[in-house]
This record gives sequence, C-alpha cells and structure tokens, in this order.
Amino acid sequence: MNSALGFAFSVLGLSASVFGALGGIYALVRNTPRLLVTVRQWAWLVLLAAVGAFVVMEVALFQRDYSVKFVQLVGSDSTPPLFNFAALWSALEGSIILWALILAGYIAAYLWKFRARVLDPLHGWTLVVLLVISAFFFGLMVGPANPFTEVAVPANFSGPGPNPLLQNHVLVAFHPPMLYLGYVGFSVPFAFAIAALITGRVGEGWLVETRRWTVAAWGFLTLGIVLGAWWSYEVLGWGGYWAWDPVENASLLPWLTGTAYLHSVMVQERRGMLRVWNLSLLCSTFALTILGTFLSRSGVVDSVHAFSEGSVGPWLLVFFTVVSGVSIGLIAWRGDRLRSPGAIDSALSREASFLANNVIFGALAFVVLLGTVFPLLAEAYDGTRLTIGRPYFDSMARPIAFVMLFLMAAAPVLPWRKASGELLAERLFWPAVMGVGAMFVAVVLGARGFYPMLTFGLGGFAAGAALRQVTLATRRQGWRGFVGRTNGGMIVHLGIVLLAVGVASSEAYKTDRTATLLPGQSVEVAGHTFRYVSFEGDETSQRVRIWANVEIDGDEIYTPAQTRYTERGMIVPTPSVRPGFSEDLFLVLDDAPRNGDPDAPIRLRVVVRPMITWLWAGGVLMGLGSLLAIFPGRRRRGTEPVSAAVPPRGDVVGAGA
Amino acid sequence: MSSGVSNKLASMRAVWLGLLIASVALLSIATFDDRGPETSEERIQRLSDSFACPECDGQAVSESNAAVAANIRTFIRDRVTEGATDTEIRDELIRSYSSDVLLNPPSEGISALVWILPVVVAVFGVAGLVVSIRRDGEGSRTASAADVALVAEARTDSTSTDSDASRPPASESDSSA
Repeated sequence: MNSALGFAFSVLGLSASVFGALGGIYALVRNTPRLLVTVRQWAWLVLLAAVGAFVVMEVALFQRDYSVKFVQLVGSDSTPPLFNFAALWSALEGSIILWALILAGYIAAYLWKFRARVLDPLHGWTLVVLLVISAFFFGLMVGPANPFTEVAVPANFSGPGPNPLLQNHVLVAFHPPMLYLGYVGFSVPFAFAIAALITGRVGEGWLVETRRWTVAAWGFLTLGIVLGAWWSYEVLGWGGYWAWDPVENASLLPWLTGTAYLHSVMVQERRGMLRVWNLSLLCSTFALTILGTFLSRSGVVDSVHAFSEGSVGPWLLVFFTVVSGVSIGLIAWRGDRLRSPGAIDSALSREASFLANNVIFGALAFVVLLGTVFPLLAEAYDGTRLTIGRPYFDSMARPIAFVMLFLMAAAPVLPWRKASGELLAERLFWPAVMGVGAMFVAVVLGARGFYPMLTFGLGGFAAGAALRQVTLATRRQGWRGFVGRTNGGMIVHLGIVLLAVGVASSEAYKTDRTATLLPGQSVEVAGHTFRYVSFEGDETSQRVRIWANVEIDGDEIYTPAQTRYTERGMIVPTPSVRPGFSEDLFLVLDDAPRNGDPDAPIRLRVVVRPMITWLWAGGVLMGLGSLLAIFPGRRRRGTEPVSAAVPPRGDVVGAGA
Repeated sequence: MSSGVSNKLASMRAVWLGLLIASVALLSIATFDDRGPETSEERIQRLSDSFACPECDGQAVSESNAAVAANIRTFIRDRVTEGATDTEIRDELIRSYSSDVLLNPPSEGISALVWILPVVVAVFGVAGLVVSIRRDGEGSRTASAADVALVAEARTDSTSTDSDASRPPASESDSSA
C-alpha cells in the first residue's frame, strides 16, 4: 500500500515537473500567456507530490512497513521515534525525498512571492528551470533511487535501523535538513540567473530580486555546516570537529563560492560591473552543490560521513555536466550583453577589496576541490594511491584565512570608487587599536605562538571594523542599525571572527592525553584531575551501552560511553563533554572491559580544547547575522561609506515604487 | 589652519607607527617566548597527526579509534623514544603500509601537482586582480558622455526600491546597445 502510494506520488512529481517545464517552454517560445499561467498549477502539483512522498515514507517508517525497500534498509522495531523520523534522511534514497520536498517548498515560496508576476518571461523561465531541476530529482526517485520499491518481507523481520552514528544525537534531526535548505536554496538564484541569460535581461534586476534568497540559502548552509561540525564533535568521538573529509569539503565548496558571490554581487548592484563573473560564481555554486552530492553520495571517495552509496552517481555526474555546460554556453552566448559599464578606479576602494575577496575565496575553493578530487584523478591517471588530509589542507588554508581576516578588517571601512590614505588611517584607527589590544590581552593571559597571536590580532582588527559599522549605523538609525544587508553582514563578520579565534585557540592550545586507569586511579591533564570511579552498563534489545563514571576535579561525574548496536554489530563511542567559556573537557572511553569486569582497567582519552565554545557561538552569530541581513533595512542606508555626496531623498524613496 | 592639518597628520602617523611597533613586539613575544623546543610528547602528537590510518578513510591515526591506528600510534611512540628521526619513521611506515599512509602528499611525482597548482592559481589570481584594477584605473580617468549618462541613470535608479524590479531595467537595454 505505502509502496504503491509513494511511487504514485513520485510519478506525479516527475510528470508534473516535466509537463510544467515543457508547457512553460512552449508558452514562452510561442508567447502564449494563457498557457504560461497553467505552469503554476503544475508547480503546485509538484509540491503536493513532494509532500505526499515525504508523508508516505514517514508513515511507512512509523508503521514499520518493511515491504517498502527503504524501510527495510533503515527501519527497525526498536528505533526511538525521533531517530525513526530522522531515518528518512539517513540513507541515499530517503535523502532524495527530502531534497525534492525542500525544492518543492522553495518553488512554492517562489510562486507565492512572485504571484503577481507570472506573465513576466523572466519569471516564466525561472519557474521552468526550477521545474527542470525538480524533474531531475523526481526522476531519481522514480528510477535509479526509488525508495518505495516493494520487497518481500521475511517472517519476524526487523530492520537494522539507521546507521548507529545517526541515532546517537539529537543534532541528526537538524543538521541534514539545515544543510539541504542551504544546498537547495541556491536553486532559486541559479534559476533566476539562467532565466536572465535566456531572456537577455542580464542587468541588475534579477540580482536585486534574488538577494534575500541567496542570503537565506547561504545562512542555512552556514548553519548546516557548523551544526555538522558540532555533530562531528559530539558524536564521532575523535576529539575534533573538522577533518577536511571529502563530505565536509563538498559542503564547504558551494559555501565558498556562495560567499564570494554575496560580496561581488554588491559591486554589480552598485557599479554594474562583474556581470560575467557573478553569473559564473552563482552557476558554479549551484553546480558545486550537485558535484558535492555526487562526491558524497556515489561512493567514489572514501569518507567517514558517506552514509549512503548507491546507483545515482552517474546520474548526478551527468546532471552536473549539463548544469555546467548550459551555464557556460549561455554566458558565452550572452557575452555581448555582459560587458560592464563601470570600471574600478583605485586599489583602495570597496570594489577592489571585493575583487580581492573573490580571488581569495576562489583560491580556497580551488585548493579544497583539488585536494578532494586529486586522489581520484591520480589513481585514474597512473594508479598512484595517495591520501590528502588535514596537514595539506591546513597548510593551504591557513595563509588564505589570514588574508581573509585582513580583508574583513579593511574592506568594510573602504568607500566605493576611491579612498585616500588619510581617510583609511582615520577609519581604521579604532579597529587597529582593538587588534593590538586583543594581542596584548592574549599575551598577558599567557597565550603564545605566532599563528594564534596573528589570529587574535587580525580578529580584533576585523571585529573592530565590523563594530565600527554597526556602532555608526545604530547611532544614526537606532535598532535599524542592526538590520539590512550591510549591518547584518557585519554581524556575520563578528561571527566569523569568533569562529576563527575558537579554531585557532582550540587547535593551538589543545591537550590530548590517553591514560589507562584502574578504578580509583586518576590522571592529571591541563590542570584538571580525572578520577575513574566506576563502570556501569545497561542493555536494551537494540543496544548494549557501557559507560565509565569519571569524576572531574573531585566534583562532577561525567560519563563517556560506548554503545554497541546489536543489529549492525557496530560500536559507537559517545564522548562526554564538559563545555565552558574558556575550555572544553572532552572525555572518550577508548577501551573498556568487554566482559564487564568492574576491576579491569579502562583506557580514557582526555582532550582539552580551549575556547572551542567560541566556534559554536560564532556559528550562531553567523546565522543571526544572515537573518538580520534578510530583514528589510532602510533603502540605501545613509551610513554606507559613499565617497560622492548623495542628495537627500526623503519621501521620494517611497514614491519611487 | 594648514599647520593644524599637518600637525594632525604627523600625530596620526606617530600613532600608527606606535600601533605597528606594538603589534610587531607582541607578535615577537608570542613567537619567541614559546614553550621552547618540541617535547617528545608534542613530537608524537605531531607525527600521529600526519599519518593516515590505513583502514579509515583518510582519518589521521591520532583521530581514529581503529586497532591499526592504535598500533601505528604505539609504533610512533616507541620509535620516538628510541630516538628515530622523522624521516626514518616516515620511511618505515611507508614500507610497512604504502605511500597513501601519508596525509601530506609527497612533493615528488604526480602528487607534486597538488602543491604546484595552487601556487600557479594564486599567481594568476593576483596578476588578474592587479591587471584589472590597473587597466580600469587608467580607462576611467576621463569621463565620457556615456559615463555621465550612466551616472545620471544610476542616480535615478537608486531612488527606486528593491521590490521595484518589475520596471523594464533601463540600464540593461543601455548596456546591451
């Protein structure tokens, strides 16, 4: 029953997308507005189909309907409700349902937002592109990755449940949807870009309309990545949060190009320049979300996060090729219309600093992509097997990150067009004082080391520049000084500074010790005493859990655990973390007496990471900043450093609409 | 009046010089007052960070809970205690496993590309940046009639609102012409 119904919804989604797209193309080419209006109905059907497929799959998971192939794969009688709900995106086929649902949601939001503008060809083409994308994903659901396939159910069958790593922490319910909201969100600006190219309206109109969509997608992607890092820290039990793993890199790539786009788009809005560049960045961002999905879902790269492998790899690669080919072809075709009317006057200008930002983000994206796919290429070329890991990425990303921090300090105070040395000296004074102050405080507090100190200094410098903007804006506009793109963007910058400081200190001043302890014995790490008190365990039909009671500083008891999931026979360590403003104490039960002998020794790993909480706080602040940036600010905020005098406008602003 | 301005400039310069000296001083303290030479514990940590666990998808041996990773950790600890050099340990590990035990790709053979390409891209990126700023800077010294028109247009543009993109985008037809 669920199988048939779910498959029916998939087919409905596919056919609605295909008919909608074809009808739209026909109507746009033949210029028949009455037909164009009907495309909207197809799009609403797509939403119905996606919601239907999602609901059917959730119902099947909760009914433990093992005749549905996907439920047999990830369902289990004993999975708790939350993780059973999240099991939908714990493997490939289900995550495509989630992708389709989110895409359909974005399409619906788009239809509603621009409901008055259906007959505009720009919007017609945008909708067509969105429907083509959704046709692809529904196509995967109908064909190579059909989650609803009906299978025979053996007697007394209970499935293995989701991968144990995915039923260990509540973050599993938030991290993937957030990430997908980010990935899929870039479909809307991408569709606009393609529509702009097709209609030839490649000016600034479509940019302004997609501005908030892009910021929203970027904000979701940022939160998704940070939540993923947090999940990795809380669940994987290796004491870190970011491993430069291919799946992590795949999520970082669109983030990098998307960030570059968010900045350079302002140059186009303001000065009409960089049109080809912006279109290319936006198209690559979308293409990279597909490439990332290919890398992480096809099993071509080894990854600790690759929870799902399947037969969709070639399809994703084909789609990636089509997306890239169409984008490049259209940009080349419209090349004559894409010449910029403006020009850069000086290296000391806002636009030049945005260009520098783009070079640096582009360079980092290139390095990350190279490091991720190079092992594949090398092996294909002459069979060389090599691993590219953290040391490589760290040494490449570090200098780039320092340039980014420096640009974050200098760019926000630069005016458009041209700045003088004196102007910069004046505007950068307090930020510089803050940078030196941050280093001074750090040195007094005993921090040492070149790289962390440089991070603190540049971080303070960048934070100063961001605070300067927000202070000036709030002084003039009150609470409105916190909203709008410029001010929200500064809050995001502050979040990045917190994140950078958190990364630098938690890496540079990390202490990592492993100790073998008998009950009653203790170990001293980084000024804290960890005493192994006792050993306990419990058992359910689903899992066997054992944990050690460890007393920290003769006070609180923490319980690092190991869980053995019986169905999959997999042992998952659950670290126990004592978070704090200045440092986190991270305990992992590395080895425990299997036979449950209470007098046997345990192997306890203790990782002390100073200021890692700042990293998570930075992530939260970046999300908040994105939200503030979406919030409608005052048009053309008066606090923006503009070199030329702008005549007062007053009420004309409202009247112009 | 002009002496006041130059005074202000001079004091500004002095203040910035002070800030520069202070930051160099603080950075030097942080760099040279470090914890002294690497202890063997730090060396073990650094080495365990730089080798991949052969069975765990590119995780470092310091990060992995797998048995083989634990073996390599013990091996590194033993060899460091015995006084082996980094290169010796590296070569021994490559011999026992294979060259993909290195997390940092070697700088010879095909993997040298991983180190060379980013430098090439960086050089091109910076060169492109410099060229585009230079070229544009020269081209825009004199304002042509088209420039003046564009400015006027941009001014009118900026009085409209964000949601007002439904109007036929005038600047587009202009630039395409």
